[in-house]
Amino acid sequence: MAVFRAALVNELEKLWKKRKVLLAVVLSFAVIVIGQLLIVGIRSGWGIRGTGSLEFPILVLTVVNNTILPLFAALLAIDCFSGEFSNNTARFLLTRPVSRFKIFTAKVAAIAVFIAVNLVLLLLLSSVAGFLFNANSASLISYIKTILTYVASFFPLFVIALGIILLANTLKSGTSVFFASVLLFLVLRGIGFVFPQFAGILPTGLLDWHHLWLANTLPLAKITRGFLLLLGYAIIFFTAGYYFFEQKEF
Amino acid sequence: MEKVIEISDLTKIYPNSRGIRNINLDIHAGEIFGFLGPNGAGKTTAMKIMTGLIKPDHGDVKIFGRSVTEEYEQAMAEVGCLIEIAQAYPFLTAYENLKQQARYYPDVDSRRIDEVLELTGILKYKDEKPKKFSLGMKQRLGLAAAMLSRPKVLILDEPFNGLDVEGMIEIRKLILHLAKNEQTTFFISSHLIHDVELTCNRIGIIFDGRLLSVDTTQNILNNYPTLEDYFVSEVERYGRISSSSGQ
Repeated sequence: MAVFRAALVNELEKLWKKRKVLLAVVLSFAVIVIGQLLIVGIRSGWGIRGTGSLEFPILVLTVVNNTILPLFAALLAIDCFSGEFSNNTARFLLTRPVSRFKIFTAKVAAIAVFIAVNLVLLLLLSSVAGFLFNANSASLISYIKTILTYVASFFPLFVIALGIILLANTLKSGTSVFFASVLLFLVLRGIGFVFPQFAGILPTGLLDWHHLWLANTLPLAKITRGFLLLLGYAIIFFTAGYYFFEQKEF
Repeated sequence: MEKVIEISDLTKIYPNSRGIRNINLDIHAGEIFGFLGPNGAGKTTAMKIMTGLIKPDHGDVKIFGRSVTEEYEQAMAEVGCLIEIAQAYPFLTAYENLKQQARYYPDVDSRRIDEVLELTGILKYKDEKPKKFSLGMKQRLGLAAAMLSRPKVLILDEPFNGLDVEGMIEIRKLILHLAKNEQTTFFISSHLIHDVELTCNRIGIIFDGRLLSVDTTQNILNNYPTLEDYFVSEVERYGRISSSSGQ
């Protein structure tokens, strides 16, 4: 466990020292500011309410969940894997008394931590903006639901990140991983749009899984089905990603 | 003497038919073993297998009796290594790079990091990022990382690469000091015959992926004027054998 902890601390330190993480936080913050300005503009210009204090964080989540956050996950996965393969720093890491499984798991865990931290920041900032600019009555129950929705949105994003990690361990360069990820994302989204009956089982379709947590009566069957599908994708992507990572020669 | 590294029947053939074939070799405690061969002979391939960076087609390497392919963590616990040109993380400082490595060893603290930076002559650059380092400085940082955990075995692939004359002399002295005073075992590959002759006490010649011969430096220099003459003689003998057997 001490070896895994050391590997995890190392991965977190490396991600923290890269500017891309800061960029993702700034972009998320920009979405909140721009979103809030638009809401205020709509309200004062056309007299439309826009959103309430607790609807604003959900609106922000819906926007970033399909744009910035998958992009952020892609950048992290590429940095953690393809980046280290291409500049040979992986040798610096792999010749220590730590197994490849622990290194792979530590990298995956570090990416998960950064996605979670980004979501927490988004929740806090959008909640503050929502309460400051769109003040209306908000119950504790609805705020807990908002938090649950943010927690739920972590899982599909993590699965998307695992998918990109798999790509990073199969394709040669970071650029090809990035473009393949974007292309695959758009294709899967397109399939979900053209064939809506299949949207619910695609990893990209499951990005909207968190919406289920907003219903007045929780659709437990749908939530469980979505969770099991996400778990299945996670197991497949993690196992395949590790297989290719373990087979890699440096 | 205790066997530290056991290489048995090690084979790795790349799609272009190059690689290494059936290498068998034992390295004992306190030896400074020189793995000598021209570019493309298979030195780096053997060393990459020894450090788990690539997998052999067959055969195995055991370090202190632990298989590198089966029990990697245990096998590498007492090993420090530098494979090809050291590439540290360019966005971390020299100190932070070593700190990353130090986390895997409970008894390596900040003082030890400063100590190895001092030993390799780059202490004054500890807060600089290696992207600004020259090749020689990067090599020194790689050596510092290899020595960081006070390993009992050091596997160094072309450690003199990029070093100036002063640097080569310093590193050579350091290797001799560690072998004599701390019983550190070295496995060093190089194509620089002169440096191998001055540093190593046992030498193996690798050519065309095959280990041609292994002997002590003293024996070699008793029979040949220089290591270079021995190397040429072994390679020519191999050439005659392989051409007569139609290889």
